Amino acid sequence: MTVEPDYKKSLEYYKHLSLFWTDIVYLMASKPAALTSAGPMRKFAMQAKKLATEMIEANEDLTEFNTRLAEYYKQLSDTWIEAQKKVNKKIPEIPQDMENLEASKRVWIDIFENDFTQLFDSQKFGENFGKLISSELELSKHWNNMLSTLLETANVPTKNDLDDVYKELHSLRKRVSKLEKSERGVNDGK
Amino acid sequence: MENELKIDPKIVSEFFKFNKNIIEAPKMVPAPDEINLEMTPYDVAYTEDKVRLLHFNSPTQKQHKIPIVIAYALINRYHILDIHPQKSWVRNILTQGFDVYMIDWGTPTKIDKYLSFDDYVNGYIDNCVDFVRNEASVEKVSLQGYCTGGTLATVYAALHPNKIKNLIATAPVIDGKRDTTVVGNLAKHVDVNKMVETIGNMPPEFMYYVFSVLKPFEQGIEKYINFFRNVEDKNYVDNFLRIEKWLNETPPIPGELFKQWIRDIYQDSVLIQNNMYVGGKIVSLRNITMPIFTQVAVGDHLVSPECSMPLHYAVGSEDKTLRIYPTGHVGMIASSFSQKVVLPELGQWLKERSEK
Repeated sequence: MTVEPDYKKSLEYYKHLSLFWTDIVYLMASKPAALTSAGPMRKFAMQAKKLATEMIEANEDLTEFNTRLAEYYKQLSDTWIEAQKKVNKKIPEIPQDMENLEASKRVWIDIFENDFTQLFDSQKFGENFGKLISSELELSKHWNNMLSTLLETANVPTKNDLDDVYKELHSLRKRVSKLEKSERGVNDGK
Repeated sequence: MENELKIDPKIVSEFFKFNKNIIEAPKMVPAPDEINLEMTPYDVAYTEDKVRLLHFNSPTQKQHKIPIVIAYALINRYHILDIHPQKSWVRNILTQGFDVYMIDWGTPTKIDKYLSFDDYVNGYIDNCVDFVRNEASVEKVSLQGYCTGGTLATVYAALHPNKIKNLIATAPVIDGKRDTTVVGNLAKHVDVNKMVETIGNMPPEFMYYVFSVLKPFEQGIEKYINFFRNVEDKNYVDNFLRIEKWLNETPPIPGELFKQWIRDIYQDSVLIQNNMYVGGKIVSLRNITMPIFTQVAVGDHLVSPECSMPLHYAVGSEDKTLRIYPTGHVGMIASSFSQKVVLPELGQWLKERSEK
């Protein structure tokens, strides 16, 4: 299921509205406000548009996430109901005494295990699972982006800055390892 | 009364006994944290970043010149190969007279996000293999890889065939497209680029979710019912807690490596097509010309035989053996069955191919 067109239309409208006003206010007020360029508020004001955009887009992705999550639980509950029906048919055939208690449990476990494994193995589960994770990741992305915006205003390293450091470290470690290897080769006379 | 509910008194007594066991379990059973999973003593022979090369102390005299290097999987820790004195893979091979080393990948953190297949294969494994060759004064070593470690060992053997005397691939992940497990189904549908870009390393929690849907009722319910039923059986409890502790200790997987893994092995299956690139070089399974022993389990619900077996047919080796065992993924390496059947067969195969 995708987001309803009407809903999308109004989202687009609010997105445009928010961008329009943040842009206009920025254009009207940015020059005199440049006096405060050393403090966090100007940086924040410049980034406010980004925050608004992220919020609106996150809302859109939240709808997709909810749709996928509802589908996920629907698949689980449909499978549970079907499996329980099968168990209900089978159990009355087994005498309800201590000797057969284990057999009843086995029937229950086997039927449920089989039906749920079939579900988890199915194309429809895999597809919805993939989209559910994807929409969850989109939400994380928006959250990361909003936090990065706030961190930038405070001159604190963001996730992207740290990623650059990790990349640099990785490349340095690789170079050191290569140097150590070639040094070992020289020492071993290879 | 006609509508009177008739319940077998034995069921009632079993129910009360079960409840009593739940209440008394804490008095009889140690907490998982109190259990030490390290069994066979070892020395840390070599370290690099977070990786350690463990050299196990042998209880018997070394009888074979060629040492074995085990590349453990990337999921969970190496302890499963030495989980219990009576079920230890490592101890069994040691007592058969082999010198055993094992690569412990350690616990990657955020700064390891960019570690790739190349770093693991051409970096860590290659450095460990070189170290062992140097220590043992041999040109080649035997290399064993379990599960995802089997994939790394296979790729290594294809890229460095001159350093490997024998290759043992135990439940290796080779042709993910053919994998019939739930893991394969989920892996095929995940947007792995977006995942790694957003969260970096693959978090253990995500892996726990995947494990939880593998056998949800046997592993999520029945296993715990059986545990509380058997709390008085010390042997049962010891085994149960060791495996549980092992299952719940999985390190994150470096993002770059995970991305390449899912894309190349599960989604595009380029390894089996001899079309995978590692460190700028193409990995051709035809380059694997050393003796190879492939072990698969019929009941493997993590890596199906359809995923592992193509390796046997794709390699260039003339001396190749494929064994299919009637057990599961863990049963093949840490069970009475593995001690009685799998390990003696492997030992015999290795003895015939390792110099005295």
